[in-house]
Amino acid sequence: MPNERQTGSSALVSLRDVVKVYDTGEVPFTALRHVDLDVRSGEFVGLIGKSGSGKTTLINMITGIDRPTAGEVVVGDTPVHALNENQLAMWRGRTIGVVFQFFQLLPTLTVIENVMLPMDFCAMYSPAERPERAMHLLEQVELADQAHKLPSALSGGQQQRAAIARALANDPPILAADEPTGNLDSKTADAVFHLFEELVEAHKTIIMVTHDTDLATRVRRSLVVSDGEITDETIHRPRAERTGL
Amino acid sequence: MSALAPRWRKVVRDLSSHRFRTLLVVLSIAVGVFAITVVMGGRGILLREFEAVYAASAPATVSFTVDAADAHVVRAVERFEGVRFAEGRRTLAVRYTEGEQPETASSAGWDTLQVRAMPEFERSRMDLVTLESTGSFPPAPGELFLERSVNMVADYAVGDVVSVETPAGARVLLRVTGIVHDINAFPATFVATATGYVSMDTLRLLDQPAHFNEIHLIAEGAPTRAEASRLATAIRDDVLMARGVRVLQTSVPEPGSHFLGDIFRAVSLLLLALGVLSLALSGFLVVTTVQAIMAQQVSQVGIMKAIGGRADQVMRMYLVMVAVYGVLAVAVGLPIGAVAGHWFTGYAADLLNFRITSYAPPPYVVALGVAVGLAVPLLAAFVPVRLGTRISVVRALNATGMSGASFGHGLIDRALGLVRGLPRPVALSLRNTFLRKGRLALTLVTLTLASAVIMSVMSVQSSILATVDEVDMWDFDAQMWFAVPQGREAVERIASRVEGVVAVSGMPEYRSVFTRADGTESQPIDVIGVHPESDFVAPRISEGRWLAPGDRAAIVLNADVAKDEPELTVGSSATFNVLGEGREFEVVGVVTAGLMGPVGFAPVQHVDSITGGTGAITRLQLRATSSDPWEQARIARVVERRLEERGVPVAFAQTAADQREQVANQLGILVTFLAIMGAILAAVGVIGLTGTMTINVLESTREIGVMRAIGASHGSIYQIFVTEGVVIALIAWFFGVLASYPMSVALLDMLEGAMGLPLVFDYAWSGMGIWLAAVTAIAVLASLLPAFRASQVSVRDAIAYE
Repeated sequence: MPNERQTGSSALVSLRDVVKVYDTGEVPFTALRHVDLDVRSGEFVGLIGKSGSGKTTLINMITGIDRPTAGEVVVGDTPVHALNENQLAMWRGRTIGVVFQFFQLLPTLTVIENVMLPMDFCAMYSPAERPERAMHLLEQVELADQAHKLPSALSGGQQQRAAIARALANDPPILAADEPTGNLDSKTADAVFHLFEELVEAHKTIIMVTHDTDLATRVRRSLVVSDGEITDETIHRPRAERTGL
Repeated sequence: MSALAPRWRKVVRDLSSHRFRTLLVVLSIAVGVFAITVVMGGRGILLREFEAVYAASAPATVSFTVDAADAHVVRAVERFEGVRFAEGRRTLAVRYTEGEQPETASSAGWDTLQVRAMPEFERSRMDLVTLESTGSFPPAPGELFLERSVNMVADYAVGDVVSVETPAGARVLLRVTGIVHDINAFPATFVATATGYVSMDTLRLLDQPAHFNEIHLIAEGAPTRAEASRLATAIRDDVLMARGVRVLQTSVPEPGSHFLGDIFRAVSLLLLALGVLSLALSGFLVVTTVQAIMAQQVSQVGIMKAIGGRADQVMRMYLVMVAVYGVLAVAVGLPIGAVAGHWFTGYAADLLNFRITSYAPPPYVVALGVAVGLAVPLLAAFVPVRLGTRISVVRALNATGMSGASFGHGLIDRALGLVRGLPRPVALSLRNTFLRKGRLALTLVTLTLASAVIMSVMSVQSSILATVDEVDMWDFDAQMWFAVPQGREAVERIASRVEGVVAVSGMPEYRSVFTRADGTESQPIDVIGVHPESDFVAPRISEGRWLAPGDRAAIVLNADVAKDEPELTVGSSATFNVLGEGREFEVVGVVTAGLMGPVGFAPVQHVDSITGGTGAITRLQLRATSSDPWEQARIARVVERRLEERGVPVAFAQTAADQREQVANQLGILVTFLAIMGAILAAVGVIGLTGTMTINVLESTREIGVMRAIGASHGSIYQIFVTEGVVIALIAWFFGVLASYPMSVALLDMLEGAMGLPLVFDYAWSGMGIWLAAVTAIAVLASLLPAFRASQVSVRDAIAYE
């Protein structure tokens, strides 16, 4: 059902008529064309599409990493499109955990320090609580024993799990992940995806960009992005139903 | 460390894990701190110490040269109202040489020693000299203390014996028993005359009477020069002349102004100008470096902002990082600068012949060094850090490390694209150079400034040397002076018969003083009688005209008189006191000749007529067949011997080469200082270019990996980066050449103003070539280390580089 618009007061993320045009020189490039989207709390949404389709641009609109040329982005009660850069940074740090394809851990900080960094920036938790919480998150992603290593000493999968722990540092309600498994082998990718499923069960809202069609079938709701528009949407059975549990 | 918040741990790790980058940035800032500390510290110490040492020497306010005066006259001067102290001395010039010479040996070629004697050295209250060796005041009879600057041109030590020939021709042996410092004595390097000190008892050995021929005094309070001149005139008329003492000359120097003050002011001004330029250079260096760091860190800035870091938080992190660089730079640059400043100051003090009592840099220099190390980097970093941290998250995260995306749009890019036929690596280097235009612009500004300053320094050097030629208005090979006037015809005949002599010219020369409108007197002015058409004179006129054959009471002044006596303008009439009588002269011109003391040139017939019409001369100049200075000196010694044999004792002799060297020595201080400053600026340039090239390499890591992956050899990588460095250096050289001309003119104008001496502008065209070669070599050297690092990049690491 293309362009199905979900509406309702329970929407945690709401995009209205969002347009993004990039000035690339001689010919402007339209990355998003009048996109409307609602994501409810606790949903696990997959954005799928070919390279250049606009899925990363779309997730960047939600995280406030990029701004729409036109339209509105509201997350919770916050009009994200109206925030300035500093307000955005603070809001993002507390509301959305961002996971990148290339992990993007800071190379000169240890794993635990990377996880503590968002708490430091957003003044969340007391300085004494931060190491304990960071270690707890690393235990959650099974990296407690790697806590004091530099990212370069970790495998790709471990780095991505560390990045997920960092994304959870301030206990944000939403996780936005751009191709989180794109740089991992299938086994590791599966482990990371499993972690996301557990987080959804713990009532986190996850919006994930992927081009992996297998993984796309494992999310609750997948949206196909093509030429800057949401062209298809599929609702999948919950995990418990699929597994017969 | 564990107590630090993660963001500050990142700052610490960024500093410690990128050691080479940290070293480079710290060096870039430290070189600025170093330059400021050396230049401004050197200037501060020299000014402070020079003033302190000069003031501590209690220079006389007024000095009279008289025919004869005894202790009663000195006491009468001291009792005169307005006089604090007065002392009598006897000064005479003798010829001397090292070791015990046989009585029969000719004194031709011996050096000149200005001997000063006074009754109570140890109780002297003015023009104080300090003993620097073993021994004690006063020197015993037969003993001699030498002023230490003699050792800049010779090598004398306590215990040495010197042979002295008195003005009357007698030979005396004196033993050197002390080396002293006298800041009020002309350094031997500048006047080719050493200064020695003896007791009054030794005067008898030198066939000298025991009375004084100089009276020095210190006035009460702090009179101006005009007030001191009026006091001198009153003492001359009411005390000295009233007691039958004939005053030959009166000297009233500008209070607090040393005779090397002009040179010193010029040195000080040069140091100040170069200090400001060093400051500007290091500022640009810091901006370039910090901008490069921000470019490298852009993706990390994006990540931090993506996970909740506000721009101001991230900005603070980088500013703290810059502050740490600054602290490290101060810790490195300040002590090294202080050590170098110590050496530099000691060297300068030796050249100017004064002692340094404390090498501690003035507090403001330390403050300036700290400010340059901390404040300048922070100020310089503020804009690049602000721009770097204000970048939007999406732009920061999309920074890939392949930096060529922006190439190809500008006019220069398109022009470079049209350049065909270059080897591929050269074309790549050329385009890489213009890839990061902001960085290139900053690097070029830094290097252009350094190039312009260095080429200007060379031009100032060449102008100084040209000025040495210009101030020399004589055309002789050797000249000599006689203690008492000699008959012209006889002297010229004896000299012209010496083999190797092709022309001779005898001339009268008398000390005179100019009486100003307010009745005060000028410094002594030597009036030299010359034939208006003599080919021994090659005047360069700066105002008015040279003497003409029909002239009588005409006088042409040199630049030194014109500077000191503004009343003496071309066309004015002036009274000069020659041999005790006032004589009217008309000033008809001013010559550029300077650094020879105040001199006026008058028609020889007129000088003869006002000095008794005897045709006597006091100076003889000659030209030789040989242009070799050694041969000219030998011929001059033969002439001296012949004159002595015929009863004409020579008081002082020198060759043109000697005279030129003395003038060059005075201005040579400036040349030396400029050379040192040029070296410091070149070091700033080297470090700046090395920094830029290294950062370019770091930023090009991914391109290097790609090139290596497609088959680039180590040699190709070297070629690319060395060529890039050379291209940057050549562009900087070109703009440096353009900027150096007006900068040279400005520097020379400053020097002229400081020295009050017209300097000949001589742009150093050869400097362009020398600096072109040097800057190319510097570029190659500065690029080698970065190129080596580039060649060591592994393909795997390069492609993985973030």
